[in-house]
Amino acid sequence: MYLVDTIEVGSDEADRYVDLVQEEAVPLMNDAGAQLVACWATSKEIGEDVAVKVVWSCADHVAWNEIRKNLVLDPRYYAYAARSASLRKGGDRRFYYPASYSPIR
Amino acid sequence: MLRRFEMYSLGPNVDPHAIAAMESAFLHAGRYIPELLHSALGRNLSAAPRDVIWEHGYESPAAYQRYMIHPYHAAVLDRFLLRDSPECIVIESPLSDAGLVGYSCDGTPYRLSAGVRRVTLLSVDQAASPGAMQELEATLGRAYRHTAGMTVCTVARNTMGSRWFDAVTPITAPSRWTHIWEQGFDTLEDLESYRTGESPEAKAERTGWAGWMDGIVTQSAELYYQIRSEEARR
Repeated sequence: MYLVDTIEVGSDEADRYVDLVQEEAVPLMNDAGAQLVACWATSKEIGEDVAVKVVWSCADHVAWNEIRKNLVLDPRYYAYAARSASLRKGGDRRFYYPASYSPIR
Repeated sequence: MLRRFEMYSLGPNVDPHAIAAMESAFLHAGRYIPELLHSALGRNLSAAPRDVIWEHGYESPAAYQRYMIHPYHAAVLDRFLLRDSPECIVIESPLSDAGLVGYSCDGTPYRLSAGVRRVTLLSVDQAASPGAMQELEATLGRAYRHTAGMTVCTVARNTMGSRWFDAVTPITAPSRWTHIWEQGFDTLEDLESYRTGESPEAKAERTGWAGWMDGIVTQSAELYYQIRSEEARR
């Protein structure tokens, strides 16, 4: 199961946001039990805000419930969330489940 | 039954459409999570720093645990609530440990599909004797007898505050809000009549509970709202 966040940031903040994911989100989520699958960003050179796509994986909703508990009990989570919120302009969060023929399961 | 309240403070300048989407997600959660019962919500009209209150119930801890792992919970409700979600619209509140409270009860004495819900959070002196604690609970639980328009009156210990993960195991320190006194009124005018009235409880509330029953109540917070429920819309 995949948690896919799409975060809209200004092009001048894109590098900071990607660094934030690496420096704060990855250790936090790993310690909570989730794994980073991908972190992608659109171009900074096309005159648009940058969309940062961050993909996390876990086994299922039972596992996610445990990860969620670990996150909200971790003081680092709130500091990270505040920094993330200060950089983003918008975005969305969706959970995805692989189709049977998907090369990435 | 497990009775549960979630209370949220909205961030500044939140898009009203996002608030409406969150409230709709709360209100209709029972359509997708059958274990979630009696879903209703309202906008807080008191001075307490909470904006949206969502109330509901579960038949058992097992039912609650199924709610916790339901995709609707993770994918729809938490979209608005988890602080790292790009769609989060809620913020921390000075009333921080009143975000989630609840209790166990026999039956559904809290049922109210329309009217005004009032939730009074009480901090009760933990050095009070068991007898004094029971007397407090019984006294508040009888308040409806001398309060016109009070249609619901339930007082219980806040057991869900620290047991929010599975409704059984405490995983955080006990909340300072040891008790929940939940009331229902037909109208806001009925609530106001109670608040300004001469009942012993109303008088005690107006003085901040000072000295009432030997000062057993050390702190309180009040929230109230017009109920919006699916039942009322049917």
